[in-house]
Amino acid sequence: MFSSLRRRAAVMLLGLALPVALAACSAPGGDQGDSNKTDGPIKIALVDAQSGQLSSLGAWELKGARLAIDEWNAAGGINGRQIELGVFDDQGDPTVGTNLARKIASEGYIAMIGTAESAVTIAMAPILRESKIPNITSGQSPGLVAVKSPFLFLNGPTSVTYDETLAKYIVDTKGLKNIAMITNNGGYGKGEHDAFTKSLQARGVKPIEDQVVTADQKDFSAALTTIRQKNPQVIFIGAEEVQSGLIVKQARDLGITVPFAGAAPQGTPVFADTAGTANVEGTIVSSPYLSNEVSEASKKFAAAYKAKFNEDAEMHGAKAYDGTQILLNALKTSNVATGQALADAIRATKYAGLLGDFAFDDTGVGIFATRIGTIQGGKLVAAG
Amino acid sequence: MQVFLQTFIGGMSLGAIYALVALGFSLVFRTMGLVNFSHGNVVMIGAYLASTFYLSTKLPFALAMALAIGGTGLIGVIIERVLRPLENKDFDLMLIGTIGFGIVLEAVAIIIWGATGNAVPNPVPTGPLEVLGLRIRTYDLVVLAIATAAAVLLVFFLQSTKRGAAMQAVAMDHEAATAVGIHVGRSNAIAFMLGAGLAALAGGLVGPLLYVNPTMGGALGIKGFAAAILGGFGSIPGAIVGGFAIGVLDAFTAGHFQGYSELVTFLVFTVVIMIRPTGIFGERTVNRA
Repeated sequence: MFSSLRRRAAVMLLGLALPVALAACSAPGGDQGDSNKTDGPIKIALVDAQSGQLSSLGAWELKGARLAIDEWNAAGGINGRQIELGVFDDQGDPTVGTNLARKIASEGYIAMIGTAESAVTIAMAPILRESKIPNITSGQSPGLVAVKSPFLFLNGPTSVTYDETLAKYIVDTKGLKNIAMITNNGGYGKGEHDAFTKSLQARGVKPIEDQVVTADQKDFSAALTTIRQKNPQVIFIGAEEVQSGLIVKQARDLGITVPFAGAAPQGTPVFADTAGTANVEGTIVSSPYLSNEVSEASKKFAAAYKAKFNEDAEMHGAKAYDGTQILLNALKTSNVATGQALADAIRATKYAGLLGDFAFDDTGVGIFATRIGTIQGGKLVAAG
Repeated sequence: MQVFLQTFIGGMSLGAIYALVALGFSLVFRTMGLVNFSHGNVVMIGAYLASTFYLSTKLPFALAMALAIGGTGLIGVIIERVLRPLENKDFDLMLIGTIGFGIVLEAVAIIIWGATGNAVPNPVPTGPLEVLGLRIRTYDLVVLAIATAAAVLLVFFLQSTKRGAAMQAVAMDHEAATAVGIHVGRSNAIAFMLGAGLAALAGGLVGPLLYVNPTMGGALGIKGFAAAILGGFGSIPGAIVGGFAIGVLDAFTAGHFQGYSELVTFLVFTVVIMIRPTGIFGERTVNRA
């Protein structure tokens, strides 16, 4: 009787662990192969959340990368070799990410695109550095720069740039000083919190309220009611798309009418859908890619994206497209080098992309500007 | 004071959802002695069915919910039917079977609806009510009313109908129940069907509050399971009290401990369970181990 109970407890424990273990092994990948081959396809891995709450990021990034690679393949590949994209699902989980880092190293991938989640990328960085696999991430946390890996590159600005531009607009241009903050304690939210607080400090402004939530929290009544009592003029959000949407929706229900401000996630359709289109009106967004209309290149990209995937392009797809183009250009100029030589080639690549002109520095950041837009009539438009 | 009450209201709304999830866990457990690990995933399927009928085919929300409950009820019956040969023979295998069903349901959801998920607009268009400076969402009141009605109906069914009484008898002693002519398999099937229906109710109601995606069942399942344990696993009133307790506790720890709220919630939960291992209502109807 007693042992049977114990056995059951053991089975239950196993049961809780099993889905995690299964999911960790079940990532789809390319076929086995040796590294340093000089014929056959060039193997590039894309690691991103293809399932879970962050999977929209993974889906966008995959589309941007796929578009760039298909364009190159259609034009004959690099040195006559086709480019093969292996897709791996990290589920937005750093532990799964580290397993995948080992997996792509052992399967002979020479470079990696992704991930879109800073925490996962930071967890993977030491293994990729050891295996000498260059990685172009869509993450933007300053923590990415802090790991100081010569194999880690960012396809956009860091939170520091996003939030400095945002603070400049809110405090200097608009003259708003009563600012409340709500951020989550995940990798991205923490980075946003620190970067924005620092930018405010430099202007002698102290946030009148600083609420931190957990990354999977769903009810924000306590935090938002506290914020409402302080009567801020604007509320800064540092959280991913879905959570930001939930925060704004609940804030409007609680009678908070002031605009929200934030970085990239607040410019996405997922954010607007989750919050409700009417609720996000007036949101201030700091983004390196405000819309598909900004330039000839972005119009061309948006048209190709629409034709291929039958949906409108947005910032994350554009970032991944830029990052992948940089990698492919580096592969071409270096005659398909691997390891350190490929990392050096990426660092040396100057590329005029959708987000702006990329020129990488020692930290792996290639672009240092964002623009301010506001959501008006459900669309993100440049702030005048 | 205002923060206190507003936090309480916020906690009650998710608490009602946890209570519904916990009811499903407890109902199956008291009838069969089995923890249905796929329950959280059934909640997710219910949320998807309800939101799909509501958004794509533009059915009224209530009708979409009814269809979702019917659909997941069918899934519950199928799960029970597949596991039935193991009933009263090997509970470990049944447990693993429910885990397997959970993984299958998540995979099916990804195949049908994709991995990204979608937002569900609020089906109750009226703005929040303002009472003494507090804001009460009308949709929260709807959720509370439906959850209460579901709990009352469930208790009525178990206490006052012949079929319900038969299920209670199976829960107490399945051999004696068989001896007096009660079909144990059918009784279990009804438990699974009702459990799945409750899951769909929870999922459908939570859709407009959150964001519907294939992994949403995980967090809701764990909180619902914790609620059932807290209230006393297998107890119907326990599941309801446990659900609200977890919801409100979660809301308050979020306010006071911010980033550490999850940790504090489960610490409190652990302490309560250490003091009262059988949960608040301390009922333990079945022990077939």
